[in-house]
Amino acid sequence: MKTLEVRNLKIAYGNVLAVDGITCRVGEGQVVCILGANGAGKSSLLKCIVGLVRPAGGQVLWDGEDVTGLPPHEMTRRGVTLSAEGRRLFPELTVRENLLMGAYLRPRDAAFRADLERVYGWFPRLKERSRQAAGSLSGGEQQMCAIGRALMSAPKVLLLDEPSLGLSPLATREVTRIISEIARAGMTTVLVEQNARMALGLSQYGYVLETGRLALQGPASELLDNPWIKDIYLGGSGPSQKVVA
Amino acid sequence: MTAPWPAVLPHCCAGRHMLLAQILSNGLMTGLVYVLMALGFTLIFGVMRIVNFAHGELYMLGGFATLILFGNLGWNYYLTVVVAAFGVGLFGVLLQSLLLKHFIGRELSGMIMALAIAITLQAGANIIFGPEEQSVPRPVTGVLDLGAAVVPYDRLVVGGFTLVILAAFWFFLQFTRWGLAMRAVTQDSEMAAVQGVRPGFIHPLAFGIGSLLAGGAGALMAPIYTIYSYMGELPMLKAFVVVILGGLGSIPGAVLGGLLLGLVESFFATMYSTTVATMIGFALVIVILIFRPRGLLGRTA
Repeated sequence: MKTLEVRNLKIAYGNVLAVDGITCRVGEGQVVCILGANGAGKSSLLKCIVGLVRPAGGQVLWDGEDVTGLPPHEMTRRGVTLSAEGRRLFPELTVRENLLMGAYLRPRDAAFRADLERVYGWFPRLKERSRQAAGSLSGGEQQMCAIGRALMSAPKVLLLDEPSLGLSPLATREVTRIISEIARAGMTTVLVEQNARMALGLSQYGYVLETGRLALQGPASELLDNPWIKDIYLGGSGPSQKVVA
Repeated sequence: MTAPWPAVLPHCCAGRHMLLAQILSNGLMTGLVYVLMALGFTLIFGVMRIVNFAHGELYMLGGFATLILFGNLGWNYYLTVVVAAFGVGLFGVLLQSLLLKHFIGRELSGMIMALAIAITLQAGANIIFGPEEQSVPRPVTGVLDLGAAVVPYDRLVVGGFTLVILAAFWFFLQFTRWGLAMRAVTQDSEMAAVQGVRPGFIHPLAFGIGSLLAGGAGALMAPIYTIYSYMGELPMLKAFVVVILGGLGSIPGAVLGGLLLGLVESFFATMYSTTVATMIGFALVIVILIFRPRGLLGRTA
């Protein structure tokens, strides 16, 4: 059982602590979501896991190994990959070239070709537009391309940062469907979202961050029923009272 | 500074068409060399965000390599160009791995470091080879008379060589894994790292290829101009102009900008003088910077 675990992680930008002692974990085949408002430290957490940001303290453990502070290419090699906030495609590369970049560390063998076909199968629009510059795609298509690129590395853990950000309701539904399919295929997934309803619907477990600290955690079904969550994140009207699940 | 990049003037200027053809062929020949310089310069900037002010000195090294191998040791000229280009490329890899790698992403410090390297190399060449201008014999002589235009054979050799190098470079960028990685790093270095691109490999490779192009240009131009320690200053400035014209970091922009500058300079050099041509080149930069600050093909970030 391969587990990705973060222990008492601290991330600082200058003197400001963006993440102040967070502990969380995701087990093999699980989908875990991380909720929180803008600036709660969700993206910093993911960036730190893949080595884009160095932690000020704490540990990142993957499959029993201390991988704290390893550079991004080492994390990719170990099967931990990030689909970043805002898609971050290579805009002037074609869709196909973006997908090839996802598989940069892999040999161009049969497994690679099978994965490429699998991604094209999940996202037929990408196949239609494979020769088009990624920057010319619509927001929803770009998000599909970004997820596809992450999958092309044949990851063991997929970190998805705000996949629904800036998408139309229709595109959000489409992306949600794809993520649930990927999850059903057994992909260990960490989903960072502002769209709490979507995220909790997809996950088994959730963490709620507030200004860099863990405010709440629990099984997704319990969080969905939590009045405080309902009030703040699901737009419901209930007593504004924090209940730790 | 000596007369910059002198144009080949036609023996006879019988008709307007002939003059135009001559301007075109001169401009293309010079423009191709500008492209060679600018491509490496823009590649290095795109991948590493380092403004390589030592680019002209890599050109100068290519020139001195030609002086030694072809001029003194009597090697075959074409072999000399290849060896000089790869030698300077290797030197570039060392420069990057030893000195410039500490300045990745720190544009100002990197620029100053590159400037320090440039001055050191110039002074070094001055000490070793002396201040006087030296020359090597032309590997080929004579002119190709096209009727409308006259092209010296040695210029044709330079043009042909440059086209081969450009084709190889394009193939590398377009169809190889490392070329793809370089284009990706240029567009988003963080995300390229997340895909598994190792900066410690791709940066020296890009700097080496940029150096190879500059060294090759120096070796190609050595028989046409004189060889001396400051010979890289003007080509470096031209590369800078070309890259500003085309858009910093843009590969197609470097090709377009190089050819454009070559043609514009050729026109004004033929009609007026090389001084006017150089001035117009910089005037063009001012105009572009005011109306299209990111260059002709620059990205709108």
